Amino acid sequence: MKHLLEVSSVDIFYGDAQAVWDVSFCVDREQIVALVGANGAGKSTLLDAISCIVRPSRGEVLFQGKSINHVRPEEVAALGISHVPEGRGLFSRMTVLENLELGGFPVRARPSFEESLARVFDLFPVLKNRIHQRAGSLSGGEQQMLAIARAVMAKPVVLMLDEPSLGLAPVIVKLMFEIIQDLNREGVTVLLVEQNVHRTLEIADHAYVLKTGRMELSGKGSDLLRNPEFKQAYLGMKG
Amino acid sequence: MAAFLQILVNGVLFGSMYGVAAIGLSLIFGTMQIIFIAQGAMMILAAYITYWIFTLTSVDPFFCFVLIIPIFLGIGWIFYAGLFSRVAAAGKNPSLLLAFGLMILLENLMSLAWTANTRAVTTSYTGMGLAVGNIQISFTRAVVFLISLLATGLVFFFMKKTLWGKAVRAASENIKAAALLGISPRRVSGITFSIGIALAGIAGVATATTYPFDPYFGFVFSLKALIAVAFGGIGSVGGAMFGGILLGVIESVSAYTISGGWADAISYGAFLLVLMFRPQGIFGRSAAS
Amino acid sequence: MGEHNWKAICWGGFPLLGFLLVFPFLVDSEESYLVYFLFLTFIYVSMAQGWNLVAGYAGQASLGQHAFFGVGAYVTAIAWKAEWIGYLDPVGMLLSGLGAAVLAILIGIPLLAKLRGDYFALGTLGLGEILRVVFTQGGSLTGGPVGLMLPSSAYESMAPYYYIALAIALVTLLVLFLLLRSSVGLAFVAIREDEEAAGANGIFVLKYKILAFSVGAFFTGMCGSIFAYYLFHIHPSGVFSLNWALLPVLMTILGGIGTLMGPIIGAFVMSAVFEMANTWLPDIHPIFSGAFIILVMLFLPKGIMSLGSKGDQSPILRRLLPFKRAV
Repeated sequence: MKHLLEVSSVDIFYGDAQAVWDVSFCVDREQIVALVGANGAGKSTLLDAISCIVRPSRGEVLFQGKSINHVRPEEVAALGISHVPEGRGLFSRMTVLENLELGGFPVRARPSFEESLARVFDLFPVLKNRIHQRAGSLSGGEQQMLAIARAVMAKPVVLMLDEPSLGLAPVIVKLMFEIIQDLNREGVTVLLVEQNVHRTLEIADHAYVLKTGRMELSGKGSDLLRNPEFKQAYLGMKG
Repeated sequence: MAAFLQILVNGVLFGSMYGVAAIGLSLIFGTMQIIFIAQGAMMILAAYITYWIFTLTSVDPFFCFVLIIPIFLGIGWIFYAGLFSRVAAAGKNPSLLLAFGLMILLENLMSLAWTANTRAVTTSYTGMGLAVGNIQISFTRAVVFLISLLATGLVFFFMKKTLWGKAVRAASENIKAAALLGISPRRVSGITFSIGIALAGIAGVATATTYPFDPYFGFVFSLKALIAVAFGGIGSVGGAMFGGILLGVIESVSAYTISGGWADAISYGAFLLVLMFRPQGIFGRSAAS
Repeated sequence: MGEHNWKAICWGGFPLLGFLLVFPFLVDSEESYLVYFLFLTFIYVSMAQGWNLVAGYAGQASLGQHAFFGVGAYVTAIAWKAEWIGYLDPVGMLLSGLGAAVLAILIGIPLLAKLRGDYFALGTLGLGEILRVVFTQGGSLTGGPVGLMLPSSAYESMAPYYYIALAIALVTLLVLFLLLRSSVGLAFVAIREDEEAAGANGIFVLKYKILAFSVGAFFTGMCGSIFAYYLFHIHPSGVFSLNWALLPVLMTILGGIGTLMGPIIGAFVMSAVFEMANTWLPDIHPIFSGAFIILVMLFLPKGIMSLGSKGDQSPILRRLLPFKRAV
């Protein structure tokens, strides 16, 4: 049985500098998969490779069994991959509603636009009250919600989130992880890049640990949480 | 006082033409980050087309407004797909030079085809004027002004209310994030380029009906349109039109109060001042890049 | 950027230079079209290098080189008319260069401090246009729109022009070479790559930008001077023509921006193309020139120097990528 998303032995360069060495991992349908690791570990780079912003110089990225190495970034949303980049990439001069409308830009998402909008307001009620507000004037947590909501508008098969908890208060982070699980229960596969390791592993079905561009460990989220080596190295705990 | 109002009105009417061309420049700059210096040459091309249609078929030149739009939308798309999209990845200098080469090519082709003699379109109503109080308003210039406002309104509507218009605004703000949503940078650039050229076309028809022109007139007009964009701010449709009108008024007032030659220096001086002290223009939002 | 191929320079460059030095003696310099052509090309080389320094190395694309060219031409013309300097007077040329450099510093401080990228380019463009208007209105000092007529009876031979232009081109090249090898050159690279990081690392960015701007202006001004000496009649629309701003840009891009040899190659190629067009297709040569510029930008936007370096070739050959691999 094919994996939904597979990254196979990729090397990725930025100019002359190598960022990722021979990394392979896969994501199966309706899973929540996490990529964790310190800053500069190459996690964001891997997401960029999946959404075709960068191209691997070696290896392949496969979506639904087909190689997407040579796809253009703007075609990726139509395929069903939605990427919320680090920093969110909101159009801060445009309103919340306009951002959401643009989220529904892919042709296949347009017929069910109203339905998607309703679903998004269900998941993120706070946005409903702010639809005509400029996105740039929202709080950090609201902006992150908007970014995820916008990605959901495209009816993605895979939702990729890069550091969604960055800079957010713990109570918002908790809410967000709940929403991610809700989305997952509705059938969205999630690939999550995070530095907030503990929470991430609690919800992840499977996790991959990266260190300076190389794959270090992998395993089920719950297993890793119990792994003493892992706990010491990444959670600073003993035993 | 009446004289001053007259000058003001003249400036506003004339400036609206700068404004139309400026909106085009601003759109192109917003998505493609290039200074399309051939905007004036495109305008003159439209002026010639208008001239020849009128001269050969006696069709009213104002009809050309409608005709020119689809033609120039098409030309814009062709230029984008055939030329500018291929050079976009090479950077801004090559794109600027491409526009420069295009300008030289067009100007000289037009000069070769139609000589460098000045042309003007004179119809039965060219000399007509309306009197509003003590002010004389040339009929043709008034019509051109209204059409300019209409064009501004249409573009504004497109940007605010249509999905592709919003996509253009989004891409102007953050092209990478827009691509991740499925908005093709190529399509967006093609659309804005086409609209930009169509606006140059409208400005060209306007020029033909109100002002004598020759093949090389376009370059100075491009510069003036640039100044208008600087005044009004990049990224604002209304701002570009305002900038054009402001420039028209400045020119009109300068030409009246100081000797004609210095009037241009005032415009360029104002241009430099705006660039230095308010580079985002009066309505624009992005600061100096 | 692996530049200086010393072997090529020694084996190719010096003999070429030697040839250029004796060339006017091999032909009748009054009749020879080539002498005139080379004279003009040497001027282009110097101006292209001037722009290359500002844009290719310091990273500030200026569209205002014509301001310095025009000012240089007028300084020489006015000084000669007032009999402060003589025909082909080195003092005159130096004055022109200095005048242009001073203008660059005066204008550069506000412009470079406040404007980046496209806005700076627009600002320099505006500067050039303002100067054109100012000189057109200058009354008896500048001769107004008709300009200044200089005593053409002073003309004796084409040879001095040739050698002076060659000297200017060589000195420009030498100065660039020395600057770039020094710590100034390193500062330029740092500024071009990431201005904010450079500033954060203690580089006084503005100083270096102004240095590049004024050195480029200096040589451009000198070119204006020798041009005035050549034409014997200068007028604002001629010496402040935007061509003088855009041709150096074109030549540098064609040859390869940010390289020492690029502007030289670009100037020779471009100059040759324009002159051939002028000779063989005199009526339509601007059309040909315009078409040529378009073709060059389509197929060689990274310049001739980029041919042969892997991967960095015409974007037509690559897939369209607004997203480069480097972040």
